[in-house]
Formats: sequence, structure tokens, C-alpha cells
Amino acid sequence: MDAKTQKYDRQLRLWGSDGQEALESAHILLVNATAVGCEILKNLVLPGIGQYTVVDQGTVTLSDIGSNFFLDQDSLGKSRAQQTCELLGELNEDVQGHWVAKDIVSLLEENPNYLSDFTLVIATAITLKVAEKIAGLCWQASQDGGNQISFVWVKTVGLIGAVRIAVPEHAVIETHPDNEKLADLRIDSPFPELAAYAKSFDFNTQDSLEFGHIPYVAILLKYMEDWRAEHDSKIPQNYAEKNQLKANIRSGMRTIDDENFDEAFNSALRACNPTVVPSNIKELFQDPKCEALTAKSTHFWIIARAVRDFVEDKEKSSGFLPLSGTIPDMKAQTDSYVTLQSIYKTKAKQDVQEVMNHVKCLLERLGLASDTIAVQEVETFCKFSAFLKVIRYRSIADEYLNPKKKEIASWLEDSYSSPLFPQYVLLRASDAFYDDHGRYPGEGENWEEDVDQLDHNVTTLLQDWGITQENAVPKDLTHEICRYGVGSIHNIASFMGGVVSQEIIKLITHQYIPMNNTFIFDGASSVSNVFDV
Amino acid sequence: MADMQPSLDTEAAESQRWAGIYKLLDRSSLIHPKFEPVPEIKEFVKSAKILVIGAGGLGCEILKNLALTGFKDIHVIDMDTIDVSNLNRQFLFRRADVGSPKAVTAAAFVNKRVQGVTVTPHYCKIQDKDEDFYREFAIIICGLDSIEARRWINATLVGMVDPEDPDTLKPLIDGGTEGFKGQARVILPGMSSCYECSMDMLSKPTGFPLCTIANTPRLPEHCIEWASVLEWPNQHGERKMDTDDPKDIQWLYETALARAKQYNIQGVTYSLTQGVVKNIIPAIAATNAIIAASCCNEAFKIATTSAKYLDNYMMYSGNDSVYTYTFQHQKKDDCPVCGQSTTKLEFRGDKTLEELMDYLKEKPDAQMKKPSFSLGGKPLYMQAPKQLEEALRPNLSKPLAELFSSGDEISVTDSTLPFSLQLQIDFV
Ligand SMILES: [Zn+2]
Repeated sequence: MDAKTQKYDRQLRLWGSDGQEALESAHILLVNATAVGCEILKNLVLPGIGQYTVVDQGTVTLSDIGSNFFLDQDSLGKSRAQQTCELLGELNEDVQGHWVAKDIVSLLEENPNYLSDFTLVIATAITLKVAEKIAGLCWQASQDGGNQISFVWVKTVGLIGAVRIAVPEHAVIETHPDNEKLADLRIDSPFPELAAYAKSFDFNTQDSLEFGHIPYVAILLKYMEDWRAEHDSKIPQNYAEKNQLKANIRSGMRTIDDENFDEAFNSALRACNPTVVPSNIKELFQDPKCEALTAKSTHFWIIARAVRDFVEDKEKSSGFLPLSGTIPDMKAQTDSYVTLQSIYKTKAKQDVQEVMNHVKCLLERLGLASDTIAVQEVETFCKFSAFLKVIRYRSIADEYLNPKKKEIASWLEDSYSSPLFPQYVLLRASDAFYDDHGRYPGEGENWEEDVDQLDHNVTTLLQDWGITQENAVPKDLTHEICRYGVGSIHNIASFMGGVVSQEIIKLITHQYIPMNNTFIFDGASSVSNVFDV
Repeated sequence: MADMQPSLDTEAAESQRWAGIYKLLDRSSLIHPKFEPVPEIKEFVKSAKILVIGAGGLGCEILKNLALTGFKDIHVIDMDTIDVSNLNRQFLFRRADVGSPKAVTAAAFVNKRVQGVTVTPHYCKIQDKDEDFYREFAIIICGLDSIEARRWINATLVGMVDPEDPDTLKPLIDGGTEGFKGQARVILPGMSSCYECSMDMLSKPTGFPLCTIANTPRLPEHCIEWASVLEWPNQHGERKMDTDDPKDIQWLYETALARAKQYNIQGVTYSLTQGVVKNIIPAIAATNAIIAASCCNEAFKIATTSAKYLDNYMMYSGNDSVYTYTFQHQKKDDCPVCGQSTTKLEFRGDKTLEELMDYLKEKPDAQMKKPSFSLGGKPLYMQAPKQLEEALRPNLSKPLAELFSSGDEISVTDSTLPFSLQLQIDFV
């Protein structure tokens, strides 16, 4: 094992070398070297992000060193961008850090294309106006056909932390479903090789060792076939019938030691779910991006279309998605298990080949070289094709200009499943308060005087949304926000640093599923919420 | 040029430095009406002794967080030394520190970075310290990856509680992570659900039946287990395997690979071999940060009463979106550590003692390795010494009903258990 594999061993087990490569080619921009900003970067520098740039025009104050671990007494009075960049850089010699001691707004005025160098922008401690500006530029860059720039806006206010993600489109192939879910056994509709395999076992054998080692997949296939023979070729349709199938399997058991029958019994209900293309994948096939490919379409959409064409070619696919090719472990003799494994794998390979043929046709039609998409990419896509995920985030502009009034009303009413929506309202109201007063609520000594004014901002916001509910945002909570006075508390910065860096890793590696689109944590009650605002 | 540095000790400097936290401590709250912003609270934070158990991924984070919360007297205990695979998350360590004790290196780093804090390292096992040591602390925070160590500290702290003396109750805050998931919890020993109460939430200990490994391997893991459990002692006799030695791992890998080839099994790799034999759990900085920060946030709330602390469990999962679940885990009446009633088990009287033993090894809330059994002080089966083990071995194959009667209480001891388990067995 080389030195890098050794150092990154514990994370490579989560996202593999592909994920690692994506991290290493990413360049992250941090706007403002706050405690939370530096904690996010810490958790990205450690696993080996390619580059980061810290933009901050400020100098280090006492309150900075009180909450930011990447500053110390020697940093006082020096450039915050430079000091944090240097101390963060010590964490990993393979990562390149840069710093710019300027204000982001003037940087963008000097060079409107400044953001185009970055994979992702993290903005902290910025006003709504600046957030809208940066978010707009990131969004526009992607619309203009350039590289997509993800925008991540983080806030910490006392014991509350919040993060908003905005990316026009985020597609994930490797969503990492549980291994059990990934197995696609086709008990209800075995392909010929699989059906033949099931028939190769002698269920009348007198050899108890042999009987106790018939793989449960073969058991299920046999009992399912017997069932169909008596039920007009149909698989069990309702609860009673499914239970009857289970009882049939149970009755085939000779001793309580026949674990293979236990396994079959426990998987019987699942086997009665007919193999279908999941509805969210059907929707994906109907997506305009899948319908109308262009030479600029991403690999994801080209392969998605190829899979759709494959599914529609019923002779080849029986109308099913490509087989995942993985099977769970089960009580079996080595030979019969390995044979079963290779039957599924071979079929999966054939499916990949068929999809690959469609990919090649599509590439040709789009005028692209036939080697544009490698077979490995198609293989991975096929393996996870039942679990693909496409997230289209709402833009920040949409959130502010076209509020989801209906959802907002129900979030405010349902305090059981959305306990933290009042916190969302208060964070929004705090921005409005800033617009009115040029400072955030509770910042100064006479903090309690801000409560009524913040409450006024809350009321205005609720009116705009058409909320008539009394006490939708409890005034005690408004008081609490003023108590916090936008104070930076390290524990909350560190918690959010962890959450946000997890999300960024998911965005960059295109593995696992990031949240959509706002996450709020309340450190007072130790609960969290996600809202698609 | 120390005199050039501005002093951080003046009151004015202190309030600027801790501005965010002091707002919380100086201002009253309508959400937490019982909280009184009195100056003693700040003094308490400065003087309270906090113990951190573990200086690994969680421990590094916890030390940093406590120091930046204003705690000044922090102790850390860890018996490990730094390995290169720690560097992707244990941010207080550098490549040059590989081989040094974690507790010592971590303490020195935090002391240097955060002015005014004193972190005292203890490079030893938690079991090397006695109750007098643990009694000195106000709060204990655990960032461990070992179930055994957690059970030990939990049982020790529960055992220390004297209901007459509130100072003997040491809040225990426990964190754990795996991949993108983790949990944080607050244990008030004797009062709320303890670590032992929730043992059944752990997943079944991984491990494969010996007959599968020996006779019907199907997975690459089976081949690796065969190499390490069966083939290693065959080839190396008494020499114990060193899973930190690349040569030993290489041998296991090659041996497992050869067996896999023989059986047509695919997927044995060096990395998988290492993962299986060292029982490696994927770990990243981000998740450690989340869980450690939760733990320290709870410590802060307990120490300052400035907001309600967690009662008592928060789970975190980041695989699919971000999800937390906060709930109250219930204290178990028959918890062998903090419960009032005896632990009961229903078991068939015609099953043998050996079958009972296997059952306890597999049961998630027992997690025993080599249990010994006795009845009213009389041994039924003992793992050691050797002579006693040999003399009692025939009992293993006897049905339970021959050894004792239904409803009898037997006591079970095991190297993984910090206590002896009193188990009432009712035959069914
Ligand atoms: Zn307990």
C-alpha cells in the first residue's frame, strides 16, 4: 500500500478512489474566515481536497481567536485570510491553500468571472444582499454551460446553525443503498439461466447435508414456480396468499437446523414484490433532459437515456432495469453459491453490454466520439440504476421571490415534524432586521430592546406569506435570538462544520445523497430539521 | 518577545474573547426561565475539571471544543500511539508524530494553540485509574471506539454513585461514529438509561460460523477469517498475530487469496484483509466533528445550565440527506449495571451449557467472548485456569436441567464484562 492509501484508508472505505480523485481535483472558495468556515475547511483539508482559497479582508480580533481554532494569540491584528490559510495548511501537506485579503464584493467588481475557478463556494457571515449576488453568479455560471459551481451558505447564530445549498442540478449514481436492497433476485420472473439453476437441485434428496445447503434463492424459485403452476401463472397477490407461500416454504423444512429454509421464509415477502422499474426512475426517464439529448448532455443523462432505450427493448430486458448482479450471502455449499453468483453476474454483464450498445448509438447520433463514455461508467450506472437520484435545488432567488406559501403554512402548523421552522423564519427576519438597522438583533448591550423590532420583522414576513396563525413564531424564541446576538459559539461552529463538510463531500464526490435544501440545527434542544424552501 | 503580546487575562480581553459564549451566560432566557445569569457560572467553567476519554478522532475534536468553550482544566486519557492512518481526521497530529502517545501529543498541541488552557495527558488505560481519580472530575466525555472500555467506565461511574452525596454523580457524555453516522448521549449514572441499558441497540457482533469458514467458504471474508483464525495458528504456532505489522497482514492476504482461488471466490484484497482482521470502521473528520461538537455542547449546557441538556440520546445519519433523531432512551429495570431487578432469560432446559454459551456470545446486549459460569459460588464452567477448565469441560455438553433448576440464578463472568452478571434462567 502506498503512503497515500495508508493515510486515507479510513475514508477510501467510504468513497473509494473515484471519490478521492474528485476531492483532489476540487477547488473550494471560503468567503470569510469565520469559525464555522474554518471548521468546514478543516474537515475538507484533512481528507485531501485539492485546493482552497480564503477570501477575507478583516484582521484578527480577540473574539476571533476565542472561537476559531485556526488562529492563536500571535495572529492578533494580522490578516484573517492569511493566518487561517496558514494554520489550516498545516493539516495536510498534499493540499494547496491560497488567501486573498480583500472583500468578496470588491473582488467580484474587479473580476466578475472570479468564481469560475471554483468547484464550490462556501459563504459565511455575509448579508443577504451579498449572498444573493454570489448565489446568482454561481447559478448563472452553470446556466451558461460553464462548470457547475455549487453554492453553500452557512449561518451560525448563538446555539443555532443553518446551511442552504443551491445547485441547479445534482445527479448521483452511487447513492450507496444497503447491500440487501441492491440485490435484485428476480424470483418472480427468473431469466432462463436462473430458472435452470433452480431446477438443478434435488429437493427429494435423502442427504440432509445436501438438503440443508440448497441456496434459499433456489428454494424460493421452486416454491414460487409451484405456486404459479396452481394459480394461473400468477405470483401471490395479497397478504393471505403471501402468507400461504410462506407457510408452504415452512412446511418443506425437515429439521429446525435447515437455516436455508429460514432464509427463504424470511425473504418470501420481498420475493412477492413484482420486479418493476421504480416510479422515481420512470419519472427520470420522462425528464426533458433524458428526452432531448444534445452534444452537451452530461454522461449521466446519456447513459440514463441508453438505459431507458434498453428497458423499452422488451426482448432484451423484459422491461426491467439492468440487473445489479450482486447477491447476498446465504447458507450454501461453495460451488452452488459461486455458480449462482456467476449466473447473476453474467446476466448483469450482458445487460451492461446491451446498454453500452445503446450508449454508442446515442453518441454517434450526437456526433460524439464512441469512446466518450467508458464501459466502467456504464457498469456502475447499471448496477445502481434502481437507486439513481437527481436533485434540482431551488435557487435562492426563487426562495425569496416565490415563497412556497402552502408548505410554509403547513410547516408552521405541524410543530411535531417541523419543530425548527420558526428558527428559519427568525433567521430570515434577522436579515430583514439588518436591512432596517444596519446591525443584527441583539448585537449590542441593549439587546432586549431589539425583541419588539425583530418581532415586527417576523410579522411582516408572515404577512407576506399569508400566515394568519396566532403565535406562529413564539415571542420567547424571538427573545432567545436576541439573547444570542449573532454570537459565534465554537461548539455550534464545529457541529455545522461537520454537517456542511459532509454535504460538500457528497456534492463533490457525487456519492451518497445530499440534503435538499436547508438544514437547521438547534443546539438548545439538540434537534435538527431539513426544509426544501 | 512575550511582552509585545497583548494580555488575554484582563477582564475586558476575556469578555471580548468569549463574546459569543458570554452573551449566553450574561443574558436571561424566556425559553429556559430557570437559568440565572450569575457570575459564578463563568467561574465554574474556568475551574471545573473535565475528563476526556480517548484522544483519537473524537478526542481531538472534544479537546479543541472544550478549550474553545472556556474550560481551562482538562484531562485526557488514552493508551494508544499515533498511526499514519489517523492523520486523515486526528488533526492535532502530524506525520512526524507517528509513534508518539496520542494523549501527550494532543495535550501539548492544544496547550500551545489555546492560551490559558491546561490539558493534562494520561498515557495509560482507563482501567489503570481508580475511583479516586474519576471522583475529581465534574463531567466525563467519552470518545471511544471500544465497546469494552465504554462498558467499563459506565459500570465504574454507576458504581461510584452514593445517593446521599450528589457530588458522586458524574455526568457521562458518550459519542460514537461510523462512516457518515453517529450518536451522542448523556448518561446520568443511576438516574437515566446507562450504556449497558442500551447494549441491545448495537448490531450483532460480526463473525462467521466456524463451519462456514472451515467447510463452505462463499465470501472473500470467509477466506480471510480462515487464514487468520484457522491457518495462522497452524503455521505460526504460539506466535500471536500482530495486525499492525504489514508483514503479518501480507501473509494473511496471500493465504486468504490462495484459498479464494482454490474455491473460485473473488474479491480478496489487501485492504479487505486489513479491514476484516483489524475490524476497521470507516471514519472521517466530518462525522467526528458533528458528534464531538454535540457532546461538548451538552457538556457546556450541563456546566452552565444556560439551556436544557439532551435527555438523553441523539442519533445522526448523513448517508441519505441529513437526519437526526433525538429521543429518551429508557432505563432498563433489569439492567445488570444500573437496574433494580435481576436479569432474566428464558431458555430451554434441554439445551446444553455450551449452547447457552454460544447464545450469550451472539446476543448483542451480552457480547461476551469467553464466559465462565457458576451457581451459588460453585463453578459450573471456568475458562481458566487450565486444570479447572479441563475438569469442568464435561459440563458443557450436559443439558442445563441437569446442572441447575428452572428459576435458579447463575452468575456469568467474562473478560469483556466489568461486572459479574446475575442471570435468572427460566426453562421453557
Ligand atoms: Zn443501565
